[in-house]
Amino acid sequence: MIMRPGHQLLLPANPFFIFGSLLAALGLNMLQNMGLFGRAAWTPDFMALVLVFWSIHQPQRIGVGVAFVFGILVDVHQGALLGQQALAYTVLSFLAIAIHRRLLWFPVPSQALQVFPLFAAAHAIELICRLAAGGAFPGWLILLAPVLESLLWPVVSVILLAPQRRSPDPDAHRPL
Amino acid sequence: MPLGTLDDTPPPFFRQGPSALSKLTLFSALALFLMVADARFEIAKPLRVVVASVLYPVQWLVLQPVLLAQGGAQYFESLKSSQTREAAAHRQLAAQSQRANQVEQLALENSRLRQLLGLRDKVSTSWQAAQVLYDAADPYTHKVVIDRGALEGVLAGSPVLDENGVLGQVTRVYPMVSEVTLVTDRDQAIPVLNTRTGARGVAFGDPAVRANALELRYMAANADVQAGDLLTTSGVDGVYPPGLPVARVEKVERRVDSAFARITCQALALVSGVGQVMVLKPIATQIAPRPAIEPPSTTVRKRGKR
Repeated sequence: MIMRPGHQLLLPANPFFIFGSLLAALGLNMLQNMGLFGRAAWTPDFMALVLVFWSIHQPQRIGVGVAFVFGILVDVHQGALLGQQALAYTVLSFLAIAIHRRLLWFPVPSQALQVFPLFAAAHAIELICRLAAGGAFPGWLILLAPVLESLLWPVVSVILLAPQRRSPDPDAHRPL
Repeated sequence: MPLGTLDDTPPPFFRQGPSALSKLTLFSALALFLMVADARFEIAKPLRVVVASVLYPVQWLVLQPVLLAQGGAQYFESLKSSQTREAAAHRQLAAQSQRANQVEQLALENSRLRQLLGLRDKVSTSWQAAQVLYDAADPYTHKVVIDRGALEGVLAGSPVLDENGVLGQVTRVYPMVSEVTLVTDRDQAIPVLNTRTGARGVAFGDPAVRANALELRYMAANADVQAGDLLTTSGVDGVYPPGLPVARVEKVERRVDSAFARITCQALALVSGVGQVMVLKPIATQIAPRPAIEPPSTTVRKRGKR
């Protein structure tokens, strides 16, 4: 494995943490829908964000199949056309795996810029599927969703990599 | 440094499983198949019910803090605002009491007149109360989720009312919850009757105008419709009982280039932020079944032979 310059050696990712974070993202999506914003189209999709993150950092564990299954779950929660999010997440995860070797050589802010087209593509796929199936256009605020998702990329990178950044043997000087 | 702390296991060279591209092809095809199955055929329904039942505990768990926060907000609501609301409710009750007191007499009179004329008795429907939990997340439709499902006997197609009028219709039933499509959804049609003229029509949701707008379609450009007309359910559809208020006409545009008037209405039910609702049984179970359509006669009459 080639070490990237200035890159910290990471602990192995815990599979329970990976799936826990995916479930937490699903819960966050539900919370946005149930408690805060209703059926607003502009809300950032945390599920997509976390799926892309793990597809890039752990492509051996989280890939197209997991993305498809979580897409079905989101579809059923939304009461939407069954398979629209599944298709969007499948493509999203594939694109993430396609760029995962290149992306991690960049600093986090420019990573955010590079994942923006992925999120835009996922939302475009969802929109095209729904309009083809006869849905009503949800308004131009939907363009805000991929922007918010890529703005959240640095935040998600910090939070989800935090457990792997711990020191292997904690002592008095390094409690974490 | 202890062993096993470094994430440096090289990826396997040969057994990598199917490539990402082949997985993409497989799962995209599966997703497309599911979409067609869901939109055109009924075969995806059991899968949806199963996944919804699996997902219900997660939804329940996420909903608890939301309900707690809403309850807390109500708790801290000031005394004055609740007193104002109570006074408003009393005024409304007083305004309604005169009409409500006439109902008994009118119902008696109506039933005697019906007996006199030999008409069928009016259909009475059973109902159950429910609470709106949240808006369904799908931004392409207008739906809400209520806390009564198949286990409480909710049927798909049941009309749903709130205190002001018709809210919508139950379109999907899960074991614990059900989805109600609002009258303002673009694909939701409701047969209505103009109470001023007695003319029947069909109203559709029109979310492009406003969140609570409906459109009364297929009315001729010279039809007698005025702003302020009350539209109620007509009862000819076998779903909604007659006489429930649906919408009020807001604007009538008569255009030269079109044979139809463009009539915008405002839904009377509180389609956003509604709390308590009533789920009625569809009246189709009580009215006489529709006569079977006679198949066209197979005997071909020869021409010229009368």
